[in-house]
Amino acid sequence: MTNKETVICRCEDITMREIQETVERFQCSSREVKLRTRAGMGSCGGRTCRGMVDKLVEQLGGPPISNEIALSYRPPVRPVSFGVLGGEEK
Amino acid sequence: MIDLLIVGAGPAGLRAAIAAAENGLHVSIIDEFVKPGGRLLGQLHEEPDGSWVNGVEEAERMYHRAIQLGVEISTGVSVYDLAETPAGWSIYTTDGVRESRCLLLATGASETPIPIPGWTLPGVMSIGAAQVMGNVHRVKPGHKGVVIGVNVLSVAIAREMQLCGVTVDRIVLPAHNLISADASNPEKMMESLLRLSHLAPSSLMKIGGKFVSPKLAARFYPRNGFKIWGIPIQLRKTALEIIGEEQVRGVRIAAISATGSVIPGTEEIVDADFVCIAGGLTPMAELAAVAGCRFHYVPQLGGHVPLHNERMQTTLKGLYVAGNITGVESAKVAGAQGRVAGLSIADELGVLSAAGKEKIKEAVDQTVHTRKHALIQFNQGIEEARHALYTEFQQLTDKKISV
Ligand SMILES: Cc1cc2nc3c(=O)[nH]c(=O)nc-3n(C[C@H](O)[C@H](O)[C@H](O)COP(=O)(O)OP(=O)(O)OC[C@H]3O[C@@H](n4cnc5c(N)ncnc54)[C@H](O)[C@@H]3O)c2cc1C
Repeated sequence: MTNKETVICRCEDITMREIQETVERFQCSSREVKLRTRAGMGSCGGRTCRGMVDKLVEQLGGPPISNEIALSYRPPVRPVSFGVLGGEEK
Repeated sequence: MIDLLIVGAGPAGLRAAIAAAENGLHVSIIDEFVKPGGRLLGQLHEEPDGSWVNGVEEAERMYHRAIQLGVEISTGVSVYDLAETPAGWSIYTTDGVRESRCLLLATGASETPIPIPGWTLPGVMSIGAAQVMGNVHRVKPGHKGVVIGVNVLSVAIAREMQLCGVTVDRIVLPAHNLISADASNPEKMMESLLRLSHLAPSSLMKIGGKFVSPKLAARFYPRNGFKIWGIPIQLRKTALEIIGEEQVRGVRIAAISATGSVIPGTEEIVDADFVCIAGGLTPMAELAAVAGCRFHYVPQLGGHVPLHNERMQTTLKGLYVAGNITGVESAKVAGAQGRVAGLSIADELGVLSAAGKEKIKEAVDQTVHTRKHALIQFNQGIEEARHALYTEFQQLTDKKISV
């Protein structure tokens, strides 16, 4: 196995190669990588791969990591059931 | 409606709760783990004077003090969203919605993964997961493991695993790739290793003390590493791939030059039934981001942190932060920050006397003092980075007042 086949986004099964190709082809930001590949859009909400995607994009010549959080956090920040979202108590 | 809701029952959250409740506030803490204590629950260190720091006992002491003061603590409950209201904050939890006048986020830090080939195999875990298995749940992560990544945490936890009766075969560097970057470079890692010398003075000084510079130390670093507590730390070996079909069977390693290039013909396979990846820590600030806090990217503090001041206030009214969410530091610093936050909140809610206000200043000074004397420094340049952050916060609030 090589580095390129290494999985970066475990929820959506996106490899380092797919992210690298996307950045190289579209010269894009982490946010665009996310929208194009679905990296960071799985059930964990990007908790595991957010930092790795940012770093890859920066290393490949994309926009550097800045004060702005590129891959925004959206609620719910934990996986919750519809029941809980609907106000059901324990 | 309560006075203060705290997310996180680690040292920061518990110390904040105690300080606030001592001043008469009605306080609740929510934590998603099954037990209060946060990361303290995994910690066991030997101090330079030979005494032991036992995180479990420390957590218990704080928990009992908090309960005695009437603090309500709910465990096994996650906070998944929050919103500002005219009277304070609404906090959405897996056990219903809570309302509070002030909110303290003390959610700690999370670990940074280093993806190397095979890192998704069962049996590969973060170094912190191994710490929780061994020290909290009393379950061995495996019989014989390899740790990938050399830093203060990996060395400290390797030692803890050894105390649990687990064989840590060796600690090596991760394969070089776009993400591992400096963590795969022996020269860079030598620098950080030399900063650990107080943890294992005799063995580290043996190697570090001989050399004037980390560069030289990396170049003359023994091929098979040197041992701390009998565990070989191999800065000149890299983990190219974790191998196995259904689960970890071993690690393919190779020797590397002082700057990290693989030396051809040196590959070998080391057997192991588990692997720990230690990529460092980053503040876990997701709830602060959802709330709309302003952020700063501060590598010395571990990544993105919510902009805050010495009194632990954020840019949002009634929202405070303390502990590792503000930057990765040791448990004692987190606790000291917690106390500052608890007192600042008591002040905002108007329950502090003049003498009480003096205490805030003392608590801030205590935090600075604790930071200076911390046994574990996760990164370099923390003080300077914090100073810059607080200045930035001040400028921002000055601007707001003048418009
Ligand atoms: C794996 C690991 C190992 C560490 N080892 C050491 C060590 O050996 N020595 C040392 O000095 N420092 C260590 N640290 C640093 C450590 O973070 C601090 O020592 C200290 O525990 C930080 O205190 P805290 O109160 O800020 O956060 P923590 O102790 O991490 O507590 C935060 C708490 O918040 C809870 N939480 C987070 N998000 C939510 C949510 N959305 N809803 C509900 N609850 C939530 C968590 O369950 C956790 O209990 C380690 C950190 C990690 C991550």
